Amino acid sequence: MSHHLFILSPSDTPIYSLTHSSSKPVTSVSSPLASNLPTWSTSAFAGTLTALSGASSASNHTASGGVRMGGGQDRHVIQMIANASLDAVEDVMRKENTMYLKSVDKFNEWTVSAFITPGNTKFLLLHEGKNDDGIKSFFTDVWELYVKTMLNPFHTAHTLIKSPVFDTRVRQSAKKYL
Amino acid sequence: MAYSQPQHPRLSVLSNSSASSVDHLSPTGSATRFSLPPTVPTSPRPAGVRPNIYDRNITKPRVLDVSGAAFSFMFAEIVSYTQKRVAGINDLERRLNTLGYRVGMRVLELMTWRAEYTSKAPKREIRLLPALMSIQTQVWRAVFGKPADGIQKSVENADEYMIIDNDPSIERHISVPKDMKQLSCSSFTAGIVEAVLDGLGFPARVTAHNTPSAEHPTKTTILIKLEKSVLDREEIIKQ
Repeated sequence: MSHHLFILSPSDTPIYSLTHSSSKPVTSVSSPLASNLPTWSTSAFAGTLTALSGASSASNHTASGGVRMGGGQDRHVIQMIANASLDAVEDVMRKENTMYLKSVDKFNEWTVSAFITPGNTKFLLLHEGKNDDGIKSFFTDVWELYVKTMLNPFHTAHTLIKSPVFDTRVRQSAKKYL
Repeated sequence: MAYSQPQHPRLSVLSNSSASSVDHLSPTGSATRFSLPPTVPTSPRPAGVRPNIYDRNITKPRVLDVSGAAFSFMFAEIVSYTQKRVAGINDLERRLNTLGYRVGMRVLELMTWRAEYTSKAPKREIRLLPALMSIQTQVWRAVFGKPADGIQKSVENADEYMIIDNDPSIERHISVPKDMKQLSCSSFTAGIVEAVLDGLGFPARVTAHNTPSAEHPTKTTILIKLEKSVLDREEIIKQ
C-alpha cells in the first residue's frame, strides 16, 4: 500500500512531494465501478481511463506484488486526484478550525487527508487504508519540519523544499507512522 | 576532505595563550571586562560540518529577550539601507512593509506551532475577530514582549480596524526628520500584521500612521483595511 504526500504553497504550487510504500497490510476498498468496465487496452489513454474509473486496483495487481503499471498508481493520475481534492479541502477549511482534516475527499481507492498550517500551506496525503492516528502523527512531524524550513531566511513560501535532510526526516516519519 | 585544516581553525585566533596574554595586559586584569565568553566549545564539531536547522529545538526558550540595543541598531541600519534605495516616503514604507511581511510569515508559523504542537487537535483561527484579538495579544507578545495597547473598529468604515501602540519599541530610538513627517517606521510592524492576516486567510492592506497624543508622543496606529471578500465571508458564517 502506498502513500503520496504533497506539500502545497499558499498559492497551491507544489513545493514538495513524496511517495512512500509501506509494508503494512491494506484494508482494501472495493470499487463497484471497476467490475462493470469494458477493457480499454487499445486506447492511448488506457492507463488514465482505467485509473479514473477505479478498475486498476481490481485487475492490475501482479502476483509478485511488484510493479503495478498503469492504473491508479500512475504519477499523473495521483497528481490529478490530489489537485482535484483541493476544492474539497478549501470548502472544509473555511468551516473547520482544526489543522488536521481527515478524509476530506475520496476517489476510488484513494482517500485524501489534509493538514493546513496557520500560514495556509497545505499538506495532502493520498492513502488507501484507514489510519487516522498514524496520519495525524505523521502530519505533526511534517509540520515541525516544515516550520523549521520556514525559519530559514532563504526560504520563501514558494521555494521548493530540496533539503536532503528534510526528505530523510519525512521518510523516517512515514516509515514510523504509515 | 580535499585539503587538511588545523583542528580548530576558529580557535587559532583566540587560543588560550593569547587570551590569557590579553588578560595580562588589561589594566584591571579581570576577564569580566570582556563581554565575550571564554571560547571553549564543549563538543567540537569536525571542521566543515555546520549545525542543521532540522536538528535544532524550536520550542519556546526560557529566556526570550533579544538585546534591545542590538535590535535598535539593526533596525536603524535597515531603515537607512532602505532609504538609500527608494524614491520617496511611500516607497520606503512599502519596502519596510515587505520586510515586515517576511518576518510575519515566520512569526505566525512559529508562534502557532509553539502554542499548538502538544495539542491533540491543533487549531487555526478562522473567525475574524478572534484573529484580530490574537494579533493584538499573542503576536505582539511574541514580537515585542507586551500586548498592544488597544484595538478599535473604525466608526466610518466597516472594513477598517486599528491596532494602537502607545510606544512602539522599534521606533524608540528613531526620530524622523521634519520634512519626512508622514513616515512611520512602524510600516515594518504593519508588514508583520499583514502577513499574519494573509496567512490566516484574511487578506488586507495594512499601513502604519503616526497619531501622536499629548501623553504619548510616539503613539502609532496600525490601520487594517480588509478586502471585501473577508467581510462577505464573515456575513455568511454569521448566518
